[in-house]
Order: sequence, then structure tokens, then C-alpha cells
Amino acid sequence: MQRLWLAAIFLLLGYTFWISPDLSEIAAGIALFMFGMRSLETGFKTFTGGPLENALRRSTSRLWKAIGFGIATTTVMQSSTLISLLTISFVSAEMITLAGGIGIIMGANLGTTTGAWLIAGFGLRVDIAAYAMPMLVFGVILLFNQGRTLKGLGYLLLGLAFLFLGIHFMKEGFEPFQARFDLAAYSVPGITGVLLFTLLGMAATFVMQSSHATLLLIIAALATGQVSYENALALAIGANLGTTITAVIGGWTAAVGGRRLAAAHVLFNLLTAAAAILLIQQMAWTVDRVADLVGIAEDDFLLKLALFHTLFNLLGVVMLAPFVGVMERLLTRHITFTRKPAEQPRFLYPEALKTPATAVSAVRNEVGHLYDNAYGLIALGIGLRRSVIDSRQSLTEAVRGTRRLIALDLDEVYETKIKSLHSAIVAFIGEVQQRELTEEWTQQLNQLQEASHDIVEAVKATKHLRKNLTRHGMSPDPAIRERYDALRIQIAKLLREIQVLRTEEPGAVTSLSLDPLRLALQTEHRRNMESINQMIRSRRLAPYVATSIINDAGYAFGVGENLIEASRALLISPEQTERIAGERLALDEQDLARIANAARSTVYEPNHRDLTP
Amino acid sequence: MKTRTLLEKLGHFLGQDKASQREEMKSIREVLKKLKDKEKHLREELDRDLDQDERHEVQAKLDVVHAQRLKGLDRVKELRAEHSGSGKSKAAD
Repeated sequence: MQRLWLAAIFLLLGYTFWISPDLSEIAAGIALFMFGMRSLETGFKTFTGGPLENALRRSTSRLWKAIGFGIATTTVMQSSTLISLLTISFVSAEMITLAGGIGIIMGANLGTTTGAWLIAGFGLRVDIAAYAMPMLVFGVILLFNQGRTLKGLGYLLLGLAFLFLGIHFMKEGFEPFQARFDLAAYSVPGITGVLLFTLLGMAATFVMQSSHATLLLIIAALATGQVSYENALALAIGANLGTTITAVIGGWTAAVGGRRLAAAHVLFNLLTAAAAILLIQQMAWTVDRVADLVGIAEDDFLLKLALFHTLFNLLGVVMLAPFVGVMERLLTRHITFTRKPAEQPRFLYPEALKTPATAVSAVRNEVGHLYDNAYGLIALGIGLRRSVIDSRQSLTEAVRGTRRLIALDLDEVYETKIKSLHSAIVAFIGEVQQRELTEEWTQQLNQLQEASHDIVEAVKATKHLRKNLTRHGMSPDPAIRERYDALRIQIAKLLREIQVLRTEEPGAVTSLSLDPLRLALQTEHRRNMESINQMIRSRRLAPYVATSIINDAGYAFGVGENLIEASRALLISPEQTERIAGERLALDEQDLARIANAARSTVYEPNHRDLTP
Repeated sequence: MKTRTLLEKLGHFLGQDKASQREEMKSIREVLKKLKDKEKHLREELDRDLDQDERHEVQAKLDVVHAQRLKGLDRVKELRAEHSGSGKSKAAD
């Protein structure tokens, strides 16, 4: 289907270019402009993860700060979409509040209007293509660099260069139309015209995914007299509305916080657009008065359009800023996480209750299912995808390379994928135990119930750990980052090792393979605590962060211990004698402590006894 | 039930503890054999070109497997002693 669309678009464009070379110039201009936007986004993305995110967090404590921040960042980046999407991801990750996010969105709407000024005041008067050339050259040279920052700068320069070139080509493309057609003749007067052109502006922005590109088209068409001033105003309103579509798409897949912010974005832009449409005459009058005041010529419709764009967004901010608190409360009340239907057990069927063996096997499989869910959730909780842990990729590199935690609504997933299954397992075991069972079956069921509980505890510990991980995990302070990375690596390694064991046949040797994992967990935990204490002593860690890290080290240890215990029940042999043999050979705490101490006290000179029987 | 069958059942019942001990010994021996192979495999891995962290990890696994084997051998000795002890006491009776 997608390929058919693509082919149809190609054919249509090809035909259009064939009949009108001028249209192909306009289209090339749009293409270059959009490519420029993409390059700018790529460039800015290389700088996210550090300074931008910290600035975001600090700048949203008050509404005016958030609005100011939105204006400033969007002015610099010239992409309200990028800022909106980033803000949605931060609100989803609970790094900033919903009110702060709404403030940024409001500011971004104002900030994006600087683009119109840039295009109207500068783009169509100066030969900006001449500025684009050196930027292209410097940009490409920087792109060949290995350094991340220089590469990012290269993308930024290239982005700007392509934006400028795009503006140039669109301007050139529209010029011939001035003589041949008069689109202005098709302009529709009255409210119908306003609504129609608003829809057109919205559609154009949605298709081009850039309100700047639409504004540029409007300004170029206005400069060449292809649209009337009134219709251009309506198109600008539509362009503003069109940007929300990308945000809605971005928010759709985000956690509940992101969905609320996307809704706030739509609400803000809709109300602003409604006010602007209703007051379009008054707005046009205000634009004339302000233009008079700031010395814009009466017939300079380009700058007037830019002024209109700024004023109507300002109207939205002034109108809605006092109601941000109300908006936040309303959205929080009405957009709650749509509780997904709880995941159903896969193996617990009434038929399985017929014999103790089938019942125990069903419970064992279901606990395995629960473990799988917990595995995916814990991996995401520590900011790694399950596929990364399943692969052979270096976990240390994956953890250190993380720039942002994956947005995740842990509470929601816990309810639907963990608690629901645990409850089903407990209920099923209760039913099995109402029947007559030997001691051996009872013992196995108890072990499995315990394992199910351990899995739940591991997920709960991840939930606690995740709270501080979102706050400090991506800290720019290397000392804090290093500690949280160590905790993430510790859990990720354990998940990988257990996953490898789960592919092996259950038996005494497989379950005994959990002992080295226990040893590694204990050694790693001790090493972590020593490092934290050392950092506190050398004042590399502030005490308030250090206490968080100490608590989180405890949670990470808890995750590990619970996962190992749960795995033991899953990896144990179904044969009783082999199970007993495994239990006899399993190491206790003292054995592990002895090995750990021996490893610490020697550089490594193992003194293994000859075990030939 | 014939007297002979009854006597056989009684004998089996009285010898159950011994049988389970034999089973346990057999099972531990099997596990020990697998652990020995695993230890050998880990030693071979240590000879490979590993970085320091990997070396420590393999060494730790090796230490644990070795300790498990020690425990297993001690248990086998214990079971043997119990077995021969009960044999002697029966002979004395």
C-alpha cells in the first residue's frame, strides 16, 4: 500500500514537473528547505543528552521561565516540532512537570514566529543563496570530522545552508507565476474563505511537516501577489494548527504524561486559532496599528504577515497562560492511562488441574511467562531494550552510550503485565492445593509461588530504582553518572546471564550455575558501596545524591537477588533425586563469602584442591 | 498375600533409606561428572585471550564450580561412610 502511494506521488510530481518547470523549482525549494530542517534536527540532536536537557529541567520551575525557554530554544533551533517532541519525551519520562511542558509549548509557538520574520524581513530581500554557499562548504568539511560536536556543528551549518537555498528556490519559482496567473482572483471572501484557507494551511503543514515551509510558501505567494493578504492570514493560522499533528503523532506513542502534553498542545493551538479566526478583523486592524508604530510600510504585507503570526500566537499565550493550572488539572483528570486489558495467563487452564504433574508444569510455564514480562520491563526500566541484552553487544558500551532513558509508564505495565499474572498464578496454586497432593508436589508449588513473588519484588525494586535513575541517571556530573551506569550494568549483565541459562536444559548443573551469579552480585554490590563511600570521602559526591545512590544500590541488589531466586525455581530439575543432588552441592552464604574473600586477598592465585576421587 | 511376598515388601520398606541414599550418591556422581566437564571447559576458556574483567568473571565461575565439586565429594564420602557404617552394624547384629 505504502509503495503504491509512493509510486502515485512520484508519477504525479513527475507529470507536474514535466508540464511546469517553475513548479519543479518551487518543489525543489521545499525539498531543500525540508532537508535543511532535517539536518538542523540531526545537528541539535547531537547536543541533546547533556546541556539541553539540563537547561530544560532548570528552566521549567516557573511558567514564565518555561515560556521564555520555549521562545529561546525554538528561536535558536527554528523548529517548534523538535522542541515539542523533546518536551513530550521529557514529560513522559517525568523529568519535567506537565505545567512546565505546557509553558514550553506556548513559548515554542511564539518562538517559531521568528522564522516568519527571518523569511519576510531577510529571506526575500537579500540574496541569501550567496550566504548558503560558504555554509555548505564549511558544513561538509565539519561533517568529515570524527568528533561528535564538530559533526553536529556540520549538520547545523548544512541545515541552515539548505534552508537558505530552499527559500531562494521557492522565491525564484514563484516569480514567473506573478505574470501568468492571478491566484488572488480565486480568493474567497468572508468567513468561508478564512476557514477554507485555514484548512489549506493546515493541510500544507501536515504534508510538508513544517510550518516554516508553509509560511515560506505563503510569504512567497503573497510577495508575488498570488494570495490576498486576508487569505494569507488564514493560511498562517492553518499552518499553526498543522504543527500540532506531528505532536499528536509523537504524543500518541508516549506515556500518559506525553499524551496529556500533546492534548495540551492541540488545545492551545485550537483555542488560539479559534480566537484568531473570530477576531481576524480586529487582529488585522491591530497589525496595521502596530505596523504603523514600528514603522512597517502600509503595503509591506510580508512583514505584516510576520507581525500577524507573532501577534496571534501572543494572543494565545496571553489568553491561556492564566489557565495553565486549570488546564493541567483537567488533563490529569481526563487523560488517565487507559488501562490496557490485563495480560491473560497462557498456561493456566482448568484442564491442567487434572493431575498434580500437569498443574505444576502449567504453573512453572506461567512463572516463566511472568519472568519474561519482568525481564522486558526491568530492561526498559534501566534504559535498555531487551534486544540489546539478548544480543552480544557490549553492555558497558550500551549503558555508557545511553543519552536518554526510554519513556516508560512502569506503574501501568506493572499492573497489566506483572501483577495480573502473579495474581492468576497465586489463585491457580490455591486451587491446586485444594486437591490431595504429596509433600513433593506441595513443595514444588510453594517454590514456584515464591518465585512468582520474587519476580514481583524484582519489578518493584526496579520501580524504586527508576525514580532516581530518571533524575540522576543521565547526570552530566561524571561521578554520579558513573555510579548509576555501574548499577545498570550490574542488572543488565545478570539479566543476560540468566537468559543464557534459561536456554539450557533445566537440571542440577543449570541451577548450580546461579551460584556464580550470586557471587558476582555480592562482589559487585560490595565494590559499588566501597566506591560510593570513597567518593563521599573525597567529596566527589554530595551527601544528598550519595544517599540516593546508596538506596539505589540496595534496590539494584534486590533486583538481582530476587531474579536469581526466581530463576532457581525455573531452572531446577524436574527429577527429585537430581534436585536433591543440586541442593546438596549449592553453595551457601558462608561458602560464597569465603570465595569472595579469597579472591579479594589474592591477586589471583587459586589454590584448587585435586579433586580426583 | 503370600508370606513370601509380604516378607519381600517388608524388606523393601526397611531398606528404603538405604536405597534413597544409593540414588542420591548416584545422582551426585552424575552431577559431579558434569561439573568436572564444566570446570575443564572454564579452564580452557581461561587460556584464551581475555580482558581483565572477563578473566575475573571466568575465574570466579571456576572457583564456584570447584567449591561445588568439593561439597559434592564431601557428601559422597559422607554417604559412603554411612553406607559402610550401617553395613558393619548390621554385620555386628
